[in-house]
Amino acid sequence: MDLILPYLATLAIFFFVYNILTWGLNIQFGYAGVLDFTFITFVACGAYFSGVFALGPGQKSTGFEWILGLSWPFPIALVMGALAAGLLGIVIGLIAINRLRSDYMAIVTLATGTVIYGLVSNYTPLFDGFDGLAGLQTPFSQWLNINYNQFTYLWVGFCAVVMVICWFIAQRILNSPLGRTMRAIREDQEAAEAFGKDSVRVRLIAMSMGAVLAGVGGALLMGFIGAFNPAGWTSGETFVVWAALIVGGRGNNWGGVVGSFVVAVLVNEATRYIPPIPGNATLIPTVRNMLIGASLIAVLWLRPEGIIPEARRRFYQLPLLPGRRTPAGGVESAGS
Amino acid sequence: MPEADALLRVEHLSHSFGGFKAVDDCTFAISRGSISALIGPNGAGKSTAVGLIAGALKVQAGRVHFDGHDVTRLPAYKMARRGLLRTYQVSREFPRLTVMENLLVPPPDQRGESLLNALLRPSVGHRQDAALASRAVDVLETYGLLPLRDEYAGNLSGGEKRLLELARAEMANPNFMLLDEPMAGINPALIARLDGHIRRLRDQSGITFLLVEHNLDVVERICDRVVVMALGRTLAEGSMAELRQNPEVVRAYLGGGLDERAVG
Ligand SMILES: Nc1ncnc2c1ncn2[C@@H]1O[C@H](COP(=O)(O)OP(=O)(O)OP(=O)(O)O)[C@@H](O)[C@H]1O
Ligand SMILES: [Mg+2]
Repeated sequence: MDLILPYLATLAIFFFVYNILTWGLNIQFGYAGVLDFTFITFVACGAYFSGVFALGPGQKSTGFEWILGLSWPFPIALVMGALAAGLLGIVIGLIAINRLRSDYMAIVTLATGTVIYGLVSNYTPLFDGFDGLAGLQTPFSQWLNINYNQFTYLWVGFCAVVMVICWFIAQRILNSPLGRTMRAIREDQEAAEAFGKDSVRVRLIAMSMGAVLAGVGGALLMGFIGAFNPAGWTSGETFVVWAALIVGGRGNNWGGVVGSFVVAVLVNEATRYIPPIPGNATLIPTVRNMLIGASLIAVLWLRPEGIIPEARRRFYQLPLLPGRRTPAGGVESAGS
Repeated sequence: MPEADALLRVEHLSHSFGGFKAVDDCTFAISRGSISALIGPNGAGKSTAVGLIAGALKVQAGRVHFDGHDVTRLPAYKMARRGLLRTYQVSREFPRLTVMENLLVPPPDQRGESLLNALLRPSVGHRQDAALASRAVDVLETYGLLPLRDEYAGNLSGGEKRLLELARAEMANPNFMLLDEPMAGINPALIARLDGHIRRLRDQSGITFLLVEHNLDVVERICDRVVVMALGRTLAEGSMAELRQNPEVVRAYLGGGLDERAVG
């Protein structure tokens, strides 16, 4: 019991955070068709900025140096991290999103992310380079006198509250005319432009709102772990979020929940707790990545729309009429 | 044609792909409230000209004037916002949106498209949607598409997609419709329905039309004026009756010299 509960609480935290991340990528790709292959950069941006807002000042003499260091309460630092990620989303979006051609989008995001990764991990005055941020006091400890296990349970609750807010953000965008326009641009950018839709503006909104959610997730990780460094945001992490979204089903946020549970919790995080096999330390991470890759291929073969496909939107407010009921792509899905 | 009567004026438009001149010094004008046709053999540069006018292709040389303004090189979405709506030779529906949703995308000035309204005041968008949806129902009814309103647009037949293109265009409240072969690949009964819709839109809403069309019966039936293109150039302009007398036009197109299939 002493071991099981904190372990489940930790899994819950990762599940909640990955839900937020998957919804963020869903806003970018599932709604608006933006191929963001550097999603983890926005997660890192949220983690780093929430960190430097919440941490005390870094000092070169002690070997820890970073910008800001304002010692702000963590919830406010989280908001700042999310805003920073949203801004970075606009910056990278401006480089990657183009009115006339969208085929460069994927490679440009990847390239931009690589540049940022090199900069952050080598330029120490920013976030202490390869060593990264460390030594963040557990959030709320200035107000509450709690031990680490109690903090973990508290963090489950905090993540749940933040997750619910993110759910509303993602759902409200999806169900608004803005969401419909994003989906139209995803389907056919040129045709949407021919109807007066400014695809660059709309895709920038999607890019930056997805990045905000990524930043929130990153900040929640920062607050939980208390440290963050470049080893935590290699491009392989972007792949995990993509796999979660594709496996679960894009274009709807329940798919993101299922995908983040299967990929990020069952496969990715749960296997972290299997004790390492002596003499073969890299076996488990390798098996984990193979499992994620295999589940992705299986879904793409058997159920290309994901476990929960995008729902067809019927207009129940109008009198129902007999219509044909054969959905595109061959997968029947529940009405919304 | 006097300056004020022309809703669209194309002057010395040219465009090449690589070294190949697809449109070469193309000049014509379309008068307000007319239904005009753009005809010419396959590969004459008609679709390229449509793309240039609509802003989907970047004009390399020449000018486009629309509604009294120089709109050369304006991007497509700005042309649409000025009331010029184009359709494509191959239907470009949004396949994974339902027919109904396809009709709700085009209307301009949707307040629910603002991020702040979407997040903080969703009722603003939903209220406007309810009004647009009831209008969309009327439009769908006119085109006989109402039973398909909840179907994915990607599942419609070729002819149904053609009707959807026009229904969608109507929802955008344009003042000029630039239709690239709206009747391509549909049966004669449906052609009669489509040209009925075009005439209705001109008469009721005052929309000006320019259709790229290979079916000369349709052109004869509904178009006031015809522009003939060949090899990227405008060859002639006039009524169908006048063009039949024009030896150059007969040689290039009507006589079937270049492409018999096109004449039908
Ligand atoms: N994107 C492109 N790249 C290269 N060549 C092109 C491109 N688009 C069109 N062309 C060429 O330009 C010429 C004009 O094409 P366009 O589509 O404008 O003809 P069209 O008059 O619409 O013909 P059709 O009646 O067959 O539709 C053709 O020879 C075509 O091969
Ligand atoms: Mg053409």
